[in-house]
Amino acid sequence: MSRVALRGIRSHLGRFLLSILAVLLGVAFVAGTFSLREMMADTFDSIVEAGTDADVYVEGAELAGGGTPMGGQQARFPLETAETIAAADGVAAAVPGVQGAIVLVGADGTAVLNNGAPSFGLGLHPDERALWVADGRAPSGPDEVALESAALERAGLAVGDTTKVVLAGEVRTVEVVGELGFAAPMAGAIMVGLDWDTALAAYAPDGLTTGVAVYAEDGVSERALADAVETALADGPAAADVRVLTGDEMRAEMAEQWQSALGFVSTFLLVFAGIALFVGTFIIGNTFSMVVRQRQREFAMLRAVGASPTQVFASVLAQAGVVGVLGSLLGVGAGVGLVELLRGVFAGMGMELAGDVPIDTFTVAVSVLVGTVVSLVAALVPARRAALTAPVEAMRDEVATHDRASRVRTGVGAVLLAGGLLAVVVATTGVVTENRGALLGAGAAAILVGVLALAPAIVPPVLGGLAAPVVAGVRPLGALARGNVTRHPKRTATTAGALMVGMALVGAASVLAASAQASVRDVVDNQARTDLILQSATWDVPAALVEDLPQVDGVAEVHALRIAQATRVDGEDLALIGVPEGFFTEVLEVPVDAGDATDLAPGQAVAQASDAEERGWAVGDELTVEGIGGTTRVRLAAVIDSGVLGLPLVVEESDFDAVAGPGASVIDSVFVKAAPGADLADVRAGLAELAEPYVVVSIMDAEEYGDAVAAQVNQVLVILYALLALSIVIAVLGIVNTLAMSIAERTREIGLLRAVGLGRLQMASIVTIESVLTAVFGTVLGIGVGAGLAATMTRVFADEGLNRLAVPWAGLGVLLGLAVVVGVVAALWPAARAARMNVLEAIAYE
Amino acid sequence: MRPVTVYPRGEGAIASARGLVKVYGSGETAVRALDGVDVDFANGELTAIMGPSGSGKSTLMHCMAGLDTVTSGTVVVDGEDVARLGQRGLTRLRRERLGFVFQAFNLIPTLTAEENITLPLDIARRPVDRDWFDTVVDAVGLRDRLDHRPGELSGGQQQRVACARALVSRPAVVFADEPTGNLDSRSSSEVLGFLRHSVDVLGQAVVMVTHDPTAASYAHRVLFLADGRLVGEIVDPTPESVLDALREIGAGRRAPEPALAGAAPALVGGVAGGLR
Ligand SMILES: Nc1ncnc2c1ncn2[C@@H]1O[C@H](COP(=O)(O)OP(=O)(O)O)[C@@H](O)[C@H]1O
Ligand SMILES: [Mg+2]
Repeated sequence: MSRVALRGIRSHLGRFLLSILAVLLGVAFVAGTFSLREMMADTFDSIVEAGTDADVYVEGAELAGGGTPMGGQQARFPLETAETIAAADGVAAAVPGVQGAIVLVGADGTAVLNNGAPSFGLGLHPDERALWVADGRAPSGPDEVALESAALERAGLAVGDTTKVVLAGEVRTVEVVGELGFAAPMAGAIMVGLDWDTALAAYAPDGLTTGVAVYAEDGVSERALADAVETALADGPAAADVRVLTGDEMRAEMAEQWQSALGFVSTFLLVFAGIALFVGTFIIGNTFSMVVRQRQREFAMLRAVGASPTQVFASVLAQAGVVGVLGSLLGVGAGVGLVELLRGVFAGMGMELAGDVPIDTFTVAVSVLVGTVVSLVAALVPARRAALTAPVEAMRDEVATHDRASRVRTGVGAVLLAGGLLAVVVATTGVVTENRGALLGAGAAAILVGVLALAPAIVPPVLGGLAAPVVAGVRPLGALARGNVTRHPKRTATTAGALMVGMALVGAASVLAASAQASVRDVVDNQARTDLILQSATWDVPAALVEDLPQVDGVAEVHALRIAQATRVDGEDLALIGVPEGFFTEVLEVPVDAGDATDLAPGQAVAQASDAEERGWAVGDELTVEGIGGTTRVRLAAVIDSGVLGLPLVVEESDFDAVAGPGASVIDSVFVKAAPGADLADVRAGLAELAEPYVVVSIMDAEEYGDAVAAQVNQVLVILYALLALSIVIAVLGIVNTLAMSIAERTREIGLLRAVGLGRLQMASIVTIESVLTAVFGTVLGIGVGAGLAATMTRVFADEGLNRLAVPWAGLGVLLGLAVVVGVVAALWPAARAARMNVLEAIAYE
Repeated sequence: MRPVTVYPRGEGAIASARGLVKVYGSGETAVRALDGVDVDFANGELTAIMGPSGSGKSTLMHCMAGLDTVTSGTVVVDGEDVARLGQRGLTRLRRERLGFVFQAFNLIPTLTAEENITLPLDIARRPVDRDWFDTVVDAVGLRDRLDHRPGELSGGQQQRVACARALVSRPAVVFADEPTGNLDSRSSSEVLGFLRHSVDVLGQAVVMVTHDPTAASYAHRVLFLADGRLVGEIVDPTPESVLDALREIGAGRRAPEPALAGAAPALVGGVAGGLR
């Protein structure tokens, strides 16, 4: 029997080609994800390795979670501690870290913003070892900098050039006096070396540091050095604020931080892979159904000569196994190619990644396993049908050319759909208050799977309806095409299912995004009382600029909204917003649920309604707020419901300063009100003139501000478009597969049509109409489910600021148009094949 | 059996071939399926083509109908030189001036009987002449089956639908390749009776391949083909005269083809069935 199975594959390789391709695509993503992750981990490991070369680290105690690997949200301690450490036994050098944000202006006069990778300035201590001067010399004095090699290249600058930096909120003209070497690729980060005193003034005006790197004398072990440092610090004032780590411990800790950041990326990519494989099962399942159908007589023959159902079952599964293994192995290769390609793209974007594309046995094993299992699972049902072939069918003359939706499948689909709808209704009408999001999610999943299961049953009526205009418009081609797609409801449903899944996701996302944008715009329009808003591409408007703003002619009021990340509220890590008194009367008129927000005075706080509810805060409650700068208590003055402020708690400026500590907060936005009667255009021009040297600051009116917030939502959409692209590629493969196989099945019919006078173009048109009908069917179903579900979400998540439902009809229309394009593209090859089919061969009767 | 009559320039013929040669393959494996055939099919006549299996009957039909290219020689159908027509011209020729009936798989399973019948007209985007349609449908006796799909029709009914489809566009010639090959004798006589009717009453020209002498006896004229050559004809055939002619050809060949050998006993039953 195994010989029969293998011969079957070899002689019909063409039939399985697209199945193999489907496995290949899914597995390529799986393998690619793993090796991309490996490669990024290697890169970051080498950065950690190169940047963390000391033997012992004295770090500020962990103050708040959510620390970033580069920034370090830790308690800070006096720089002089370094001197105490240097005096300890076995210490060769103790280098305090003094670093922070910087904006580097490139040769083209614009800020060097490397796709979100950080830019940081670093004080070059005389004992610095991680960096060395590769060319030129080290900077000295406030007017000189040295750039790490990649930063130099990225900025388009050369040693000896003059440029600008924005440091500690001030614009400075500086000369690039040197190039710095670093032992690892920077993965896009921009590193600017500063003179030690300059860095101290900019980043440690309070004389505090976040950490000291300690180098050992020859022959002193990391452990011994750590003990010595600990002893030396024990009696000092900073003892409570620091942790002493060996170099190994520090490196492990940093690696762990990278790993968790990468974990997110790979989870995300694996979701892609999962969708690709899930949709791939549709293609494989369809292929095997059709192959089994074509070979029905062969199976009956085998059964008639004594093969058991199990043997027939196994022979079909064996073929699926071969398809799976073959596709998986090719997929691993394709995955490596994909990552190689990505590396090129990243390098082009200024993010060098280290090493070769790694491919280990684990990756290969998991990829092959996943691909093979997916392929086997997809072939289960067709294999069962093959096994159940009655020997008598060998005698039958004609193979049935129709299939029908199975009762069981339709029943299960109906139950799932009904259950899912019920769950969604319960979640949206507020019958329950707990876990509404989870209920909605479960309901959505049930509806999606239910519709997939029901699809064969609704193919005839729905496609009949969709096809009506074509049937009436393109006689008789439309009717012929409709007959072809509706005579195999299961096949058509499965083919369309691939597209449906992707379209459901994108349909849902686009409704959600449009609703989110509409909600934000609503809030901005209704609540913002300001004339102009300033924001920075680095998320931190330079302080020096903010100080100068009131001097611009026509400016009446300037309100800065600041954010501190490293803060805690009642022991919980929560970022904090600080605003000046009067902010809620002058700048933002927020809907107040309880209390009074208008007089946010020192010692008071305002909380976002959904967060307050979650934590049980009520007006009048006392909250403890702590940060790098210190601890204070505030009384909750009001609970508000505003979509503009994205964080739970707002305090008055003086409390914010006391808690956040200098240098540990950013100026997120600056709201400017013009004096009555002032010409807004003039004010804007004045502000622009002042902001121009800072390069990264943009000035918006309320409308533009709404646009900017909406644009952020759009960035999320870009990711979903990538998802759409992937599912479209696979859906196209699926449609091509189905069309090619059903054309082969219909050889005689095609010959007949051509014999009675159907032209080639007409033949191609029939195939194209079939393809478009299938694609449109999948899209209509997908968008219906996705957009419908997303629409209900606005009811469940109204508290989270998603209070407006906006259906992007134009966008959904584009998706439908895309479906037509997909249909036409998928039909190209099968249509050409059908049109070129030899009439004589088609009608030859043996 | 007498030698095949060929008019000097094919006068009065709706379709004719001169020096028709068709070679499949090349070199060692070349098969001369047609080896210099001169033939005329007259208007308003039912012509049957007979011969052993592999003698080139289907090939002749396909070449006459422009379904296959010829190696040499000319084919003229309804005044049109088939060899000169391109793909488009051939498609139009089939669509407008030819009708086909095959042995099996004649109908599109997703279309009703009526839609199958009007298919050539729909493809050509020509209006359906309702009177003619009714005439044809009544002639094949399918009035009450028009809404049925092929799967719901018997084999004989399916072939009659196919015949109706071949006639509905008023083609110059209808080519039928073993139209009764898959039918029992009762259904066969229905279909053959209808084809003869279409010639006698509707004035249609029909060319039909068959290996059944009873079927051939419905024709005005029977042509005999052997090894790619026309070897003789009978006018106004009877099953007996056809059988005699076949024996004659069989004797002329060293080894009779199995299909022909198999045809003879079946025919005895046909004759014993007492047609006419
Ligand atoms: N497409 C083809 N390729 C090669 N040889 C063919 C092809 N079609 C027919 N032949 C050969 O041509 C000869 C005549 O075939 P055909 O016309 O089908 O015979 P008939 O219909 O009389 O049984 C046979 O020997 C057959 O094998
Ligand atoms: Mg034949």
